[in-house]
This record gives sequence, structure tokens and C-alpha cells, in this order.
Amino acid sequence: MKTMKHVLLLAALFAVAVSSPLSAAGKSIVMDGSTTVGPLAKSFAAYFTRKYGVKVTVSESGSGNGAKSLINRSCDIATMSRAMKAQELVAARKKGVNPVGHTVALDGIAMVVHPGNPVRNLTKAQIADIYKGRITNWNQVGGPTARIVVIQRESNSGTQESFKDLIMGKTAQISKTAETQSSNGAVKNRVSSTRSAIGFLGLGFVDRSVKPVAVNGVLPSPVTVRKGIYPISRPLYMYTNGQPAGSLKTLIDLSKTPDGKRMITELGFVNK
Amino acid sequence: MNLGTRKILDRSFTAVGFGSIAVMGIALLIVLAPIIYNGIGSVFFTGTLEHRNMLFNEFGRGDKEELVKENAASEVYRKQIYGMLDAFEAELETMEPEKKQDYLSKYGPVRTALQTLIGPLPGEETAILTRYKYGQTRWEKAEEKLHEFLYEAKWDYSNPDVMAKEYFVSRAAEFEGTSLVKLFPYVEKHLPDVLRPRFTVYWGFLTDSSVDSHIFGGIWPEIQGTFFLAVGAMLFAFPLGVIAAVYFTEYAREGFFNSILRSANSTLAGVPSIVFGLFGLAFFINTLKVSESKSVLAGSLTLAIMILPTIIRAAEEAILSVPKTYKEASLSLGSTKWNTIMTVILPAALPGILTGGVISLGRAAGETAPIIFTAAVSVGSAIGLADVFSSPTPALSWNIYNLASEHEAAAEIRHVQYGMVLALVSIVLLLNLSAIFLRARISKKLKG
Repeated sequence: MKTMKHVLLLAALFAVAVSSPLSAAGKSIVMDGSTTVGPLAKSFAAYFTRKYGVKVTVSESGSGNGAKSLINRSCDIATMSRAMKAQELVAARKKGVNPVGHTVALDGIAMVVHPGNPVRNLTKAQIADIYKGRITNWNQVGGPTARIVVIQRESNSGTQESFKDLIMGKTAQISKTAETQSSNGAVKNRVSSTRSAIGFLGLGFVDRSVKPVAVNGVLPSPVTVRKGIYPISRPLYMYTNGQPAGSLKTLIDLSKTPDGKRMITELGFVNK
Repeated sequence: MNLGTRKILDRSFTAVGFGSIAVMGIALLIVLAPIIYNGIGSVFFTGTLEHRNMLFNEFGRGDKEELVKENAASEVYRKQIYGMLDAFEAELETMEPEKKQDYLSKYGPVRTALQTLIGPLPGEETAILTRYKYGQTRWEKAEEKLHEFLYEAKWDYSNPDVMAKEYFVSRAAEFEGTSLVKLFPYVEKHLPDVLRPRFTVYWGFLTDSSVDSHIFGGIWPEIQGTFFLAVGAMLFAFPLGVIAAVYFTEYAREGFFNSILRSANSTLAGVPSIVFGLFGLAFFINTLKVSESKSVLAGSLTLAIMILPTIIRAAEEAILSVPKTYKEASLSLGSTKWNTIMTVILPAALPGILTGGVISLGRAAGETAPIIFTAAVSVGSAIGLADVFSSPTPALSWNIYNLASEHEAAAEIRHVQYGMVLALVSIVLLLNLSAIFLRARISKKLKG
């Protein structure tokens, strides 16, 4: 009797496991990379799965990881918020991978402060000095007397790389006292809860909990980014191994369809 | 020491004992109470008509006729609201350009706030993203958004020498003298008529897939992924662990090699889980290429290595605690060593081995670090059994972290996060309970 029960229980468990659809139609698509491109990749994935029935998985582990995954052939699409670096391209070629970049959208890197911070505008030079550790107090840039809490992203982040390229120059070092957060969401949380903090975010992540400051007098917005007036903007990429074909191509080309463009706009990114 | 002092010492020791249990209980309560309270809130909550519409459109669930009736009832009030918007827009056209510009800049946010509250307004293109297709689906969120609709948050920058403080301005006051001023009290009063809040039990939270990256829908893919990963880890680790334990206890001779093996095992038990994660990425995915991308298989293997030492130790203890007389009796009857192990020692040690196994299963279900690089993705659909060799999967532990830190709308979907936490805690608790239960039953059987 007891063994019967056990057998039944096991059978039931097994049935639950098997009753889930046995196999997907065709191969699923794996996307890995940037947390900035994350919302876009997730929305594209959901839309694509619904429309074409192809499963898509998305991981947000940072642009650097996306590149590594593509080089190791462990993802189909690497989402990146920066272009691939020369050494990554070399590593890819060595492994017989041919990364091809596709610009899917544009994005501004918004400099954000706590909404209570009265500073409205910073110049590029001021931002660079803040991150180099030369400006350490808000009163040096027209704000109240408060030590600046500088927040940067981890080395794996494409946003960090783009920020360094566009603001600091390639060789400059970010101050050692800068605090590191590992995703856009984490930076937003930290800035919205720290009155004297400054950080940078992809435009799609800016909401009312933080205040974007104007850079060289220009506020980040889809319009200023598209027109190229906002000084810290960059393209968002999806990289594939070789020219994409089949469903991979359809997925990447979503950014050129009207629906894809709408998604990009609704998420706060900018159509190229 | 006289009797009195001893009694006092005895009692104070008892008191300290009870005290520490009480402190532990309170700590547990402080940790668990919000998890349970908020987690339950993801299944039992006051849902609005928007939630019922969402369920019907996305999952085909709900009574269609009832829904049509409800929407008609809500439409009566919505019409009034839309009418007020139209009236104001018409009024805008009659204003002088400067005044119009001024009001337009204030009117935009009003529309946005209203849209977040009650859903898309007429005359606007339907959104592609599901999150913009509906208003607030939960009443407590709707009340929050109502406040944002009625009052504008402003920051007082008048003194540049201090950090500004937040203050709220009534939006109605900003539209004083226009027709729009009526809208605010109307919405405040009739919001329940528009959204029709009702106590909702949404079991689908546990059995549905997520819609629009966890903004609506449930967490089934995550639960299933956690289940696959934990069970997969067990399939690899349990047999290996028991065999290793049998070797250590029955076959291995005391010696240098053996003591090295043992200490290696103990060291392995203390290695941080992220190290296993990186090892799994480097070894299983990049070197062995067990799968093309991250996969359940790679994740399970990594988790298996992580829990292996615990299983070996538990099984070893269990085998050693089998009375020697059992073994001797078996051998004296002419049984071989192998036969003795299989028919006498292992059955007697089974309760202990199983307990160790199930507790490790709980650990495998809860670990995040080993699966970050080997198995977990932030969005993906539930996978079938045949896909475990090639597909990565969402899993509770990783998605909790993802929702807490990386999700673009993290603050809006705290209830989903709490729901996931409660689901994970419940799964681990259930596994541990079943370990206790199993152990009790098997021991009883062995005795009886």
C-alpha cells in the first residue's frame, strides 16, 4: 500500500514535469549583454515570441559579458551599449567568430542627481572633474555645501565605457573614491536615496525618482539625442556572429518596423 | 556551592536559554512577517477592473458577459472624464497663444498621470507594450497614482545653499478658472466607480507566465526553472555523493591520499558559491561545451558540484552511525561486503542520507551565484523537459535579484518580487519539511 502511494506520488510529479510542452518549435534565440539595452531586448523578445512563436531568452549581465558570450558562441545576439573593442574583435577572430554590429536605437547617458539637488546644469569639464575627483563638493559647481557621492558602473558596463570615452577621454582615470553599482537600476536606486549623489543612466531608465541635469546647457531627451545636440549620446547595438539570417534577422530588424520603433519610443529610447 | 546558589544558576541558565529562543523567534518574525504579508499580497489583493480586463485579454480568463457589463458601468464615468478633457482641449483653442502654451505644458503631465491611473485615453494610438495598455491593476497602487494625479511633486529650490525639500501642489489649483478644475474632484470621488476594485484571488500568479517582463502575469517559468535546476542538481549529486560516502566509510584505507581527499571535500564545502558559478561557466560551458549557451544542464551540473560535499558529509555521518553489529551480523551470515552495503548498511542509513539530500536540494533551489553565468536569464518562457539540455531558464533566486536591482520599473512591481521571495521560501521550507517527514516515516518502518 505504502509503496503504491510512493509510486503514485512519483508518477504525479513526473506527469507535472512532462505535461509542460515538450519541445519548442525550432531553436530558441539567446540574447545576452547590456542592462541598458535590457528593457528593449526584453520587449523585443516578448513581441517576437508572441508574433513568431520562437522562444527568446534575455540575460542582462553587462555589455562586456555579452561580448564574451558572443565570442564563446554561447549567445546568438550580444546586446551592447558600446561598440566592440579592438581587443574583443581580435579575440573573436581568433575563435572564428565574426561579430557584426547592428545599431538598433540611440540612447543618451543622462547625468542624474537627487531631485532635491538644486544644480541644474553641469559642463562636460565639470563632470569630468567630478569623476576625476578634482571637484569634490557641490558648492564648487553652484550647489549647496555637500560632499559629492560619485557613482560609477562596473568595468563590465558598456554605459561606463561610453561615459569614459565621451566625457573623460580614453586615458583618464575615474577617482578611486567613486562608488560602483552594477546596473542602471542600482544606480537609480542609489541616487534617488542619496541627496548628494551623482550618477549616470541610460535615458530609458530616468524617471521621477531622479533628476537629470543639463550637460553643457542641454537636457537629455529623445529629441536632443536624435538631433545630436545632447553631448553624451551613443548608439545601442545588437551584435551577431556573421550577417544574421532567418529568425535572427527578423528579430534584429524589428527595430526598423513601425511596431519596433513604437516600442523603442515607449521605452524612452531614441529611434535612429 | 550550596544548593541555593546552584538552583539560582540552574534557573538563570534556563532563563538565558528561553531568552535566546525568544530573540531568535522575534528575529525570524521580523524577517518572515513582511515576506509573508507582502508575498501573499501578490495572490490576494484588491484588483481593479483593469486587472480583470488584462486577465481576459492576455490569458482568456474571466466571465466575458460579466466583464462587458462591468466595462459598460465603468464607461459611464469614463465618458464624463473624457468629456471634461475634450471640453478643456476645446477651451485651450480659444485661449491666447501665451496662456495656451502655459496651460499646455501643465496639461501634458495631467494626461500622463490620468493615463497611468485609468488606462489609455481615447484618441491615442494603442501602445505596443502591454504595460501601457492598462491602467492600474491593483487598488493600492491606484491610490498611490491618484495622489500623483491630484498633486504635483515639486522641489523647493529657492535656497541654493541647501538641498531642496519636496512639497506637493494641488493640480486643481493650477487650473483654477478653467473647465479642467472640475476633473480633479470628479476623479477623486469616482475612481472606485471607474476602476471597480474588488477583492481578488489571483492563483494565476503561480501558474501564469509573465507578461511584459513581469509587469503583469505570474511567475510560473521561474518556479519551474527553480524546480528543474534543483532536481537536476540532485540527479547528479545524490548518486555521486552516496557512492563517494560509501567509498570513504567502507573501502578507503586510512592514509595520506585519503586524508587529502577528505580535507579537499571539507574545503569544497566552504568555497563561496560565486566561485562555483565562474567554474561552471569556464568548465561546463566554455571547455566541455555541454550546451551551446547557458542551460539548465550546465546550471544543474554547477549546483551539483556545489552541494556534493554536503551530501557526502551527510551520507558519511549516516553510514557511520549504523551500528557495527548490523554489519558484523550480515558478514557472519556469509554475505559479501558489497551485499552487506546494499542490503544492510545503506537501508539503515537511508533516513540520514535522505535528510542530507533534501536539505541540499533546498540549498540548490535558493542559490543565485552559481546560476548567474550558467543557467539563469531574466526573461524567458517556461521550458519543456526536452529543452533542459539546451535552454537557459528564468529561476526564482536570480529573478528576485534582477527585479530588485536591474528592472527598469522595479519600484512599480515590488509585489511580484515579494511574491517570488515567498514562493522561494515556501519551496525551501516544503522541501525541508518533507525531509523531516520522510525521515520519520523511514525510521518508523525500519524499527517496525
